[in-house]
Amino acid sequence: MTALLEIEDLKVTFNTRYGQVTALDGVSLHVNAGETLGVVGESGCGKSITALATMGLIPMPPGRIAGGSIRLSGEELVGANPSRLRALRGADIAMIFQEPMTSLNPVFTVGDQIAEAIMLHQKVSPDQAFKDAVALLDRVGIPSPDARARDYPHQLSGGMRQRVMIAMAVSCRPKVLIADEPTTALDVTVQAQIFDLLNEIQRDFGAAIILITHDMGAISEMADRVAVMYAGRVIEEAGADDVLDHPQHPYSRGLIDCIPALGREDHALKEIPGVVPPLHLLGDGCAFADRCEHANDRCRREKPLLAAHGHHPAACHGVEEGRI
Amino acid sequence: MSTLLDVRDLTVRFALPRKGFFGPRPYLEAVRQVSFSLEKGRALGIVGESGSGKTTTAMAAIRLTEAASGQVLFEGQDLLSLGDEEMRAQRRDVQLIFQDPYSSLNPRARVADIVREPMDLMGLGTMEERNARVRELFQLVGLRPDQLNLFPHQFSGGQRQRISIARALTTNPKLLVCDEPVSALDVAIQAQILNLLAKLKTELGLSYLFISHDLGVVRHVCDDVAVMYLGKIVEQGSRAALFDAPQHPYTQALLAAAPSLARRKSKGYVRPLKISGDPPSPINPPRGCAFADRCPKAQDICRQTQPMLEETGGTRVACHFPGPAA
Repeated sequence: MTALLEIEDLKVTFNTRYGQVTALDGVSLHVNAGETLGVVGESGCGKSITALATMGLIPMPPGRIAGGSIRLSGEELVGANPSRLRALRGADIAMIFQEPMTSLNPVFTVGDQIAEAIMLHQKVSPDQAFKDAVALLDRVGIPSPDARARDYPHQLSGGMRQRVMIAMAVSCRPKVLIADEPTTALDVTVQAQIFDLLNEIQRDFGAAIILITHDMGAISEMADRVAVMYAGRVIEEAGADDVLDHPQHPYSRGLIDCIPALGREDHALKEIPGVVPPLHLLGDGCAFADRCEHANDRCRREKPLLAAHGHHPAACHGVEEGRI
Repeated sequence: MSTLLDVRDLTVRFALPRKGFFGPRPYLEAVRQVSFSLEKGRALGIVGESGSGKTTTAMAAIRLTEAASGQVLFEGQDLLSLGDEEMRAQRRDVQLIFQDPYSSLNPRARVADIVREPMDLMGLGTMEERNARVRELFQLVGLRPDQLNLFPHQFSGGQRQRISIARALTTNPKLLVCDEPVSALDVAIQAQILNLLAKLKTELGLSYLFISHDLGVVRHVCDDVAVMYLGKIVEQGSRAALFDAPQHPYTQALLAAAPSLARRKSKGYVRPLKISGDPPSPINPPRGCAFADRCPKAQDICRQTQPMLEETGGTRVACHFPGPAA
């Protein structure tokens, strides 16, 4: 079975004042219909760039897709003509952004904004589109959707705005839904509501979801499969249980151990020392070597490739050599 | 053990615009009769969602926000009745770490000057002594001496938070108010700062008033916890009691909502306790329990009468129907 969305060896570069930097360095991911892929990593690891590249939303220039391919149901998206991308965006592949207040238009009612998305992709009358928008608001759990559809974004709470974004994203029943940190700006009880809603939507619509997050807890509750990213590369990829119970790469292990989890208090948290290196300072070796307690000379010299040495694929010399 | 901070019936009101020129001025009660006490050397966590009044409570307790009524006893002395100059002197003992390390450091000042500034303002010691203290603090919070003369933008978020902590420690405070100190940081960096705070608490005998929305973080740092909802404390108790046997439905809902590695999609996890909706507006708070509209246990009495904080075995709870989750 071929995957619904397949990203292969994707390379994205940006021209910056430090010269050309490689934001994505050979990222390969896939997601099947009805499945949730969690993409996890710290800020600056390339999670959001992967999402934007998939949506064809990398600003070019300064960005450039320097290589690789993105295929949606077998159709190549890299280098596809802009009008074709526009037709796919919103219809077959949709995205929910982190900050709903800045991604909604403040001068149109939310009902009109959802209706606009529907009319762009389906041949329906404006009245019908607005009716569909109200039905969608009802579907995503907004109380009295008739009245709320006539509200402006600033009249809604953060959780409601994110529901509006979800309604808009699923308005054309996309095959792939990309959620980029959809709950970072929300309170924890509202976050739980949004996660539950995404799971319901997936059950009803059968969409594939790519959930981008830095929270391993969210991964545990939402994801079927996990890709851990670091400095523009996928460094570990496997089923959610495999990654959470048997993390191979020291970075994945660090991300799990550093969570102040309920039930593990009273001992020092495991730290990952230092910070993610800036992309223009990446050398030839493993990008994580400077923060890794297991790093040796080979790690600093030679980039590890994603390969199955231990339990499941990870990009680490230590795992390959059986040291970790 | 002695009490460092004893807050009694603290109420904070903010004035709203008048409805009409001669109309009465309406008020928003952001904090309503909140009482808690903090023992020396312990950490009290205040948990709640946005708008619950947790930050306002802490700010009013250290007089950075005007309180409408109530008492704040710091080592037995009421801070709210101090004159301006006395209060300024008292600030030596009470320092603050802010949430956003990007906006709480002056971008035009060198970090050594930023850290030294509280001592300059308080007139502590000679210039030599102050500079020595800055170097000492830099080492204590895990920064290098060669970074003393850099500017804030040359540091990462975690390092900036270390600078904020060093600045807060210059005057040897007894109480450190931490307002969401790690919520702007990446998870891997959060652990570094939380470990640093834990180390400082033991080594320097500091007390923390720790504000956070993240239960995992609070559970890691705090000895006692107070849960706030719409300006009131709804449940209060020791860490063990509150996390192991929460009595208030809101506390239970918060715990159920916090993402956890123990809950797996693969194992068919479905959240047991779902609460819908958003907190009500503090401008026109409901007559009864503020949580009644979202509460699975709510009865008529909840909508009519406000529950008071009462002792129920493990914790103090403000609920008409406290008890373990159904």
